[in-house]
Amino acid sequence: MAGEPGTREPTADEPVASGPLPGGSAGAVDETAAIGSRLSFRLRLTLALLLTAVAPLAGFGLVLLTRVVQRGDPDPALRSLLLLGIAAAALLGVLVALLLASDLTAPLRAIASAVERVSRGDLSSRIEVVGTDELARLAESHNRLAADLERRNRELRSILAAIEEATPSNGVDQLIDMAARDARAALGMIDAAILLVDPLTVPVTAPVPGEPRPVRAVLRLGDEIVGVFVGHLPATRTWEPADQDLLELFAAEIAVAIRNAQLFERVEAQNARLLELDAAKDDFLRGVSHNLQTPLTSIRAYAEQLGSDRPDRRLAIIGEQADRLSRMVRQLLTVSRLESGALRSRSEVLALAPHVRRAWEALAAEGVPFTLQDLGQGWLAVADPDQLDQVLWALLDNAVKYGGGATVQATIAPIPGRGQLGITIADDGPGLADADRAGLFGRYARSGGEGHPEGTGLGLYVSRELCRAMGGDLYLEPSPGGTFVVVLPGEPPEDGETATAG
Amino acid sequence: MLSGGWRDGATAPRLLIVDDDPNLLVLLADQLRADGFEVQTARDGREALRRLEAGWPDLLIIDMMMPRMDGLTLAREIKATADLPIIVLSAIDTADSKADLLEEVAEDYVTKPYHYPELRARILRVLRRLGDKVPRRSLVLGPDLTLELHRRSAIVGGRAVQLTPTESRLLYALAANLGSTVSTETLLARGWADTDDADPSYVYVTMRRLRRKIERDPDRPVHVVTVRGVGYRLVQTGGDEAADAVEAAGIAPAPG
Repeated sequence: MAGEPGTREPTADEPVASGPLPGGSAGAVDETAAIGSRLSFRLRLTLALLLTAVAPLAGFGLVLLTRVVQRGDPDPALRSLLLLGIAAAALLGVLVALLLASDLTAPLRAIASAVERVSRGDLSSRIEVVGTDELARLAESHNRLAADLERRNRELRSILAAIEEATPSNGVDQLIDMAARDARAALGMIDAAILLVDPLTVPVTAPVPGEPRPVRAVLRLGDEIVGVFVGHLPATRTWEPADQDLLELFAAEIAVAIRNAQLFERVEAQNARLLELDAAKDDFLRGVSHNLQTPLTSIRAYAEQLGSDRPDRRLAIIGEQADRLSRMVRQLLTVSRLESGALRSRSEVLALAPHVRRAWEALAAEGVPFTLQDLGQGWLAVADPDQLDQVLWALLDNAVKYGGGATVQATIAPIPGRGQLGITIADDGPGLADADRAGLFGRYARSGGEGHPEGTGLGLYVSRELCRAMGGDLYLEPSPGGTFVVVLPGEPPEDGETATAG
Repeated sequence: MLSGGWRDGATAPRLLIVDDDPNLLVLLADQLRADGFEVQTARDGREALRRLEAGWPDLLIIDMMMPRMDGLTLAREIKATADLPIIVLSAIDTADSKADLLEEVAEDYVTKPYHYPELRARILRVLRRLGDKVPRRSLVLGPDLTLELHRRSAIVGGRAVQLTPTESRLLYALAANLGSTVSTETLLARGWADTDDADPSYVYVTMRRLRRKIERDPDRPVHVVTVRGVGYRLVQTGGDEAADAVEAAGIAPAPG
């Protein structure tokens, strides 16, 4: 708001500056007036006075002179006296006419220059009013106009400041309080309130002279009605259409702000609700996981204990199947975390070969040959051990399921120049149809539909996302057959005794 | 199998297992007793606290999801009175947002279903580490480095850096012997007690990664210093102030 012409301090009390009195030049103001002639008002008034007062007098002198000349009395002294008299009368007449005209037009000039100052934005400018004639009344109405303009300007400024202040994050209640308070201060009201109700339910009261004057404005947002603004002005205060316009403008802006605040509150509430639901879902999954894993833990532990007393293949199967079930529960949990973006990986260094071997042993795929080749001797991968196990189980399980009993081959090799390690898992099975390759990593994807009912169909999707979360990737080799490559960040072998010596 | 501190005639370590699943409780207690531990059990948090009034065990194994008082609350209550080591045994896996909270109060974390040999290895590791006197407060190592091992983080040049469980285990071992050399073998045992196939390269690589995290110039480390042919040493820089900080952090060098 600052910097606009209207920001001058109100100076209603300072001595009113009167316009410069007319000195010489004819007013340029008059030339631009819509009504009037090219000759200045002062000149025209002077001519009028001359014609009405001086011309008859001078004419009478001329007639007298003519008769003196005709009478043939050539007294040169009398002739000179007569001429001098005529000239003096004419001069006096012009002088008086000029002075009179100046006196009459001076207030007009003062008013003109005051109007000009107001139009330039100096609303504090006032005209000194002396007397009670028509010109004084003109000056008074000018002063009132300037004062009104100044007040509205001030109110507009306060109102705009109030609107600017109305940010949606404050909340609707606070916004309403603030807006009503600001409007009351800006418009000099006794009381003011914003009611978020149908305006029809708020009775309209007619102004009673001598009592506070009721004002109101409907809070409108396009065709929609948000509420109504009601308040009271001091009885002495005038209320013009311009004041009502200003209030309506304010009401429209506040309607927008209130609607924004309402939307904001709704979004906030929804966010809070979503967070609540998210937490509830987390709790639910935690509970499900706990309730499924607890019996599995017992089953597994008892099978393990019995098996350690006397080895029995049947007990081993119980343990393995319990493990399998427990892995599926984890997989579903991982999917849910992936969906909510809550998956976290913690990277540790680890040797891949033993991990791959253990993952294979945990699958207990009897009768399926397995080879493991480690070309990355001394390399260590950087991975989350639990998540890596999930990936390896899924891929090896897949290789067994779709390999048709053929050898499953795992190869670990550093990827040259990239500081990464790759684990290639291939089976000698029939491979994948092209149609199956696309969308293989999608959720609930399952190859072929040749009746492999086991599995959740989530394995590859989860595995790829886990690999990516660990800073690596998972992809299918373009060659025929089902060859998957796990890529993980790796650390090259190091002679720790020398290379890191400080 | 057991090479714990009690084989030379010392008393067996006392364990308190808190779990609401009676099947698991009975079995795990049997297994641990068979391995020479003295085992007490509790079905919930209240019972556990009652048992603690009678005497403190050397280590607690606490399930997280229990009726009435959950494991996190129990663990916090225990830590508020006594700094007893806790192993969390939980179906909540480490990818859960709650795992961090658990790790703040617990020395170690085992997910269900567990492998008994792995659980036993972790119990032994935590018991061994007791001599390390894990600092529960900040350890100022220099103007640019402060360790907050109880939070599994380090403050490097004013910024918090998250440490992995293994990194913090190694730093525990080094911090407990601040200024003295800890052998690579010791570090390997501390960091990877539950990993059969770990070899010294695990230590080298983890130290290299650790330096990248906490050293100003990883190629010229000033805090994590290699002692050729022996192991590593954690060094404090910054003079007397730092020495005071060691005392404040309550770290006593391990004997020997």
